[in-house]
Amino acid sequence: MIDFKNMDRRRFMGLAGMTAASSLILPQFGRPAFGATPLAAVKEEDAVIGFGHVGPISDEGWTWSHHQGLEAVKAAFPKAKYLEVENVPFSADCTRIYRQMVSDGANMIISTSNYGDLIYEVSDRATDVAFMECDGHRKADNLSYYYIQHWFPTYVAGVAAGLLSKTGKLGYVASFPVPAVFCGTNAFLMGARTVNPEATLQTVVINSWFDPQGAKQAGTALIDNGCDFLFGIMDEAAYLQVAQERGVWAAMWNTDIRRYGPDAYVTSIVLDWNQYYVDQVRKRLAGEWTGGEGTLLPMGKGIDRDAWGAKVPADVAAKADAVRDRILNDGFNPFVGEIKDVDGNVRVTAGETMTPEALYTWDWSIEGVSGLKV
Amino acid sequence: MELITGILTTAVLAGGVLALAALGEVLAERVGVFNLGVEGLMALGGVTGIIAVTLYPNPFFGFVMALLVGLGFGALFALATVVFRANQVLCGLALTMLGSGLAVTIGKSYSGMPAKATFEKIIVPYLSDLPIVGRAFFSQNILVYLIYLIIPAVISFMLFRTRHGMNVRAVGENPAAADSAGIPVTLIRFCYVTIGAALGAGAGAYLTLAFVPSWSDGVVAGRGWIAVALVIFAGYRPFGAVFGALLFGVITAIGYVGQARNWPISPTFLSMLPYLGTMLAMILPVFLWRRLRLGFTAPAGLGVPFFRDER
Repeated sequence: MIDFKNMDRRRFMGLAGMTAASSLILPQFGRPAFGATPLAAVKEEDAVIGFGHVGPISDEGWTWSHHQGLEAVKAAFPKAKYLEVENVPFSADCTRIYRQMVSDGANMIISTSNYGDLIYEVSDRATDVAFMECDGHRKADNLSYYYIQHWFPTYVAGVAAGLLSKTGKLGYVASFPVPAVFCGTNAFLMGARTVNPEATLQTVVINSWFDPQGAKQAGTALIDNGCDFLFGIMDEAAYLQVAQERGVWAAMWNTDIRRYGPDAYVTSIVLDWNQYYVDQVRKRLAGEWTGGEGTLLPMGKGIDRDAWGAKVPADVAAKADAVRDRILNDGFNPFVGEIKDVDGNVRVTAGETMTPEALYTWDWSIEGVSGLKV
Repeated sequence: MELITGILTTAVLAGGVLALAALGEVLAERVGVFNLGVEGLMALGGVTGIIAVTLYPNPFFGFVMALLVGLGFGALFALATVVFRANQVLCGLALTMLGSGLAVTIGKSYSGMPAKATFEKIIVPYLSDLPIVGRAFFSQNILVYLIYLIIPAVISFMLFRTRHGMNVRAVGENPAAADSAGIPVTLIRFCYVTIGAALGAGAGAYLTLAFVPSWSDGVVAGRGWIAVALVIFAGYRPFGAVFGALLFGVITAIGYVGQARNWPISPTFLSMLPYLGTMLAMILPVFLWRRLRLGFTAPAGLGVPFFRDER
């Protein structure tokens, strides 16, 4: 403890000297926030790459798709060592797991879901390790985040939903009221409203990304309430099975899981991380990787709509694909004002185009989406 | 009307898990053994069911295998608590940890995989056309009929209408007196604790073969504890347990239906309902059953190991 009350001149000078010296020893105090200095190169045979997943890799969904990315990296750099942890919990255990990876010599740690401070706790103290957080929101010298522009394929799926739904009541099985869900519901309904202006979207929040029984009950409740098209953001196929059983349509996320409901399946927002992960690891090994980046992979490069379901009429598929082509080829952006929120306030003024950053951090519902407002 | 049918249909399906587990717990507690391992048994039963149907796609095979695994672990638990007379609470907690942990480890490669075979709906002719209750009660899978009607009826008849049942209850109320009347206390306790555990594991298999239907880490989600609470709420009666389970099913279903109907209640609060219900189920019996002058008290010998030489 420093006794400030009885501090004489000599002690003060000593303290000042210590402070000055420590700033020399610990240079990061004086460094700017985002120096674009790449982390030092690592030889492939010495490299250790860590992956932490939110769910089990057998989920055939989100975690499975990231695991495919890891497999692609392994194929590209077979001499490196890989660490993979499934079911990383949202607790201090997460910090422990990533700290363990660091002490196991990891050069790069990829967290395939966002854990916020639980990761920063580790990344701030291991500045020579590259950290990548999927769906994250903070950048640092050794920390980048990445995500996908899922709103474009979601909008395309929404167009198909608007054409297929007879009641105009769409249902959404939501995990948590987070930007990915706000943006997903809004983009989906905006797509549907281009063909059916009366369409509405009802959400049920089940407080999990992976809860088959919750998703099943939520899907059942939505159908009982008149919804004839289910969408959601789940890491498994439970509500697709409900849709199949009850004879309504469903669109999914992550991967092609049409075999769980071949008649109900319309499409899926499919992920493909392989190329991106291989690029990032290559940069890290070559000494070209820099932190402080926020990458949002565009449609066609990491995210897309899946091939249309067997029962989807050809004209519906063609109309939705026409929108997809316009986005891909003509740079068409449907997220243009005027957009009103659920209370009727204008949040995006007429003519204003929402930036990718604004879409990525969307945290309010548009008019017609109910059940998400906190 | 459609609203009530919807809630009831989901409630019956969801409540079946709790009902079967609670029926098993009724058996164990009636003979004086507190089995807190239900949560672990359900996890084991659930993963066994999935693995069994993956090997041989028949839901009955999966269910029977889960019952057998439950018998095995139940016998282990009974060996510790009845034969060696270890502390029942600690053994129960140990069984929960063992079961949940073991299930996650064994089930790792089956996680998230949909069940290869599930129990199909059996539609009861005529009755299923009844308004409101038709779809809810008479077009469910076969286990639902078994759990809500046949098993509680058999247990009820056995406990309250046969001489053997009287002996069983005597073992739970006053093992010393039962012993001096020549009833084999240890044997009866051992058998019923084991059978009760099998039903607990069966509840897990019901969860993964008829309700969800797939296995994943944490799929039991505290239902084992709710089942233990239900037994107290039900006054240790089989049909009480079934009724309580149905009530819980309704509470859970209301959470989802409330959101789907966009009731102006926070979804966070709605998903809290089952747990709030559990607390009510613990508090209500304390004064409600007493005030109604119902004899729904716990068996007097519950939780006390029986030592013949300490009589």
